[in-house]
Amino acid sequence: MRDFLHTLKVEWLKLKYYRTFWILLAVIAICIPAFNYVVYDITDNNFPKINGQSILGAPFSFPYVWRTVPYFAGILMFMPAILIITLFTNEYSFRTHRQNIIDGWSRSRFIYIKLTEVFLLTIFVTVIVALTCLYFGFLTRKETQPKAGWEDFRFIVFYFVEMLDYSLIAVLFAMLIKRSGLAMGIFFLYMIVEQFVVAIGRNKFKVGWVDYLPEEVSDRLIPQPLGRRMLAPGNIEIWEKHVPLYLSIAVLYIILYIFFIGVRFRKTDL
Amino acid sequence: MASILSLKNISKSYGRIRALKDVSFDVPGGSVFGILGPNGSGKTTLLGIVMDVLSANSGQYTWFGNPPSEKQRRDIGTLLETPNFYHYLSGQHNLEITASIKHKSPEDIERVIRLVRLYERKDSKFQTYSLGMKQRLAIAACLLGDPAVLVFDEPTNGLDPSGIAEIRQLIIELAAAGKTIILASHLLAEVEKVCTHVAILQQGVLIRSGDIQSVLSQAEWLEVAAPDMNKLREVLEHYRAVKKINQFQNVLQVYFDGVPDAVMLNKYCFEQGVILNFLQIKKKSLESEFIELTNNVSN
Repeated sequence: MRDFLHTLKVEWLKLKYYRTFWILLAVIAICIPAFNYVVYDITDNNFPKINGQSILGAPFSFPYVWRTVPYFAGILMFMPAILIITLFTNEYSFRTHRQNIIDGWSRSRFIYIKLTEVFLLTIFVTVIVALTCLYFGFLTRKETQPKAGWEDFRFIVFYFVEMLDYSLIAVLFAMLIKRSGLAMGIFFLYMIVEQFVVAIGRNKFKVGWVDYLPEEVSDRLIPQPLGRRMLAPGNIEIWEKHVPLYLSIAVLYIILYIFFIGVRFRKTDL
Repeated sequence: MASILSLKNISKSYGRIRALKDVSFDVPGGSVFGILGPNGSGKTTLLGIVMDVLSANSGQYTWFGNPPSEKQRRDIGTLLETPNFYHYLSGQHNLEITASIKHKSPEDIERVIRLVRLYERKDSKFQTYSLGMKQRLAIAACLLGDPAVLVFDEPTNGLDPSGIAEIRQLIIELAAAGKTIILASHLLAEVEKVCTHVAILQQGVLIRSGDIQSVLSQAEWLEVAAPDMNKLREVLEHYRAVKKINQFQNVLQVYFDGVPDAVMLNKYCFEQGVILNFLQIKKKSLESEFIELTNNVSN
């Protein structure tokens, strides 16, 4: 444990005085609640109301807020990905990934502490998402509603899984491409291409496997939360039935990414 | 003394290009071991393998008689190819990272940073350093914790003449303090001044290795000149043991069967009525020796 903390301290020394890191982290921490506030404002003011309530329901009230905020925070998933790609490609462009090994780290130590960093960043962003949920939940709470409606708290866990999935894909691109601009470009391209394949595959060719593509399967853990009343009857139940499968496959992808990233860094020339 | 580094049949290929072919040698403790070769001869590849940033296709190596490990590398100061630091951090903060990875006290940073004359700029960001300053910071990082073994790959890269002389002096002082130094370079004149042992690589093949005396021939010759050069040549042609005489610029190069004796030659010329106005014992430079060795292999 002491050894692990010592290694983590080295990563901290790399970040402590890195202004870009702190700025990007602050941007993420501000944009998640701010973007949700924009959506909250639109849903609250721009849709017709029946009996004083928006026809979209009360997506920012407990318990629905636990699925609304993670969904819209998920749209901003590219932000932590930019930070992760920057942190990884820095090591390649400064060639410090070699120097850390030369100075006395094993290759495994280097790559697994970097993945720990990704894990910690994912926890941080997930906490921001959870706090944002609580903020909106209490902001919109009425006397008759439950205090925090914890039953949908599982969406926070789903968000964690989704972000870890995206983050590890970002790591993979950063590792394979090594140059920050190009890695970010390819990452965004992949996000769009996958969504395109999913849309075409599902709606035009009627194939089911597109639902299990790397990003889509983790996206499916947090379905679009607005207008739940308008969704076709039974959709919620079908989704509910598939959750264990989506979760298992998303976690399987995470395990595969970690395995592949570890093997590649340990086996290839640096 | 036992080997600090021992290589056995190390081979490495990049696709179809064989960068190293069955390279084996030992680096004795306390030596200044020069790894020589032209650019692309495999020097950096070899050091990359023993520092675990490259993987050999075959062969083994040991450090201090043991299989390689991360702990061993913490006690070796290594500058490989280029100075690699975080550009956005100061020299001081970069050395804090190095000290932390090496498990060395951060209190040693001031000593090494003063030693390489970077103390005044220690708080400036690495990206603002000149090439020479970057190189000096890398040398400071190598010296952290006063390691017993140092590996320098082209340590004088980017340095001006006074910087080169400083590094040479530093290497001499480190060697005098009993450190083992492994020095890869293509600047043969530099290596010649400091090395006790050499390994010569060409196109990934080890041509020769061992202590510098055994690797390099001891060929010596005399360079002489006199006011009457024709008379001098005539006289020398009759001197016993002279093997060959070459005209080189304003002097005659005189080669002998054995070791040349300058005193005897001077006396002989004087007795023959020729007074020398120039007499110098010359020895083959490492550079000419190297060119000769590598040409022999190429042919």
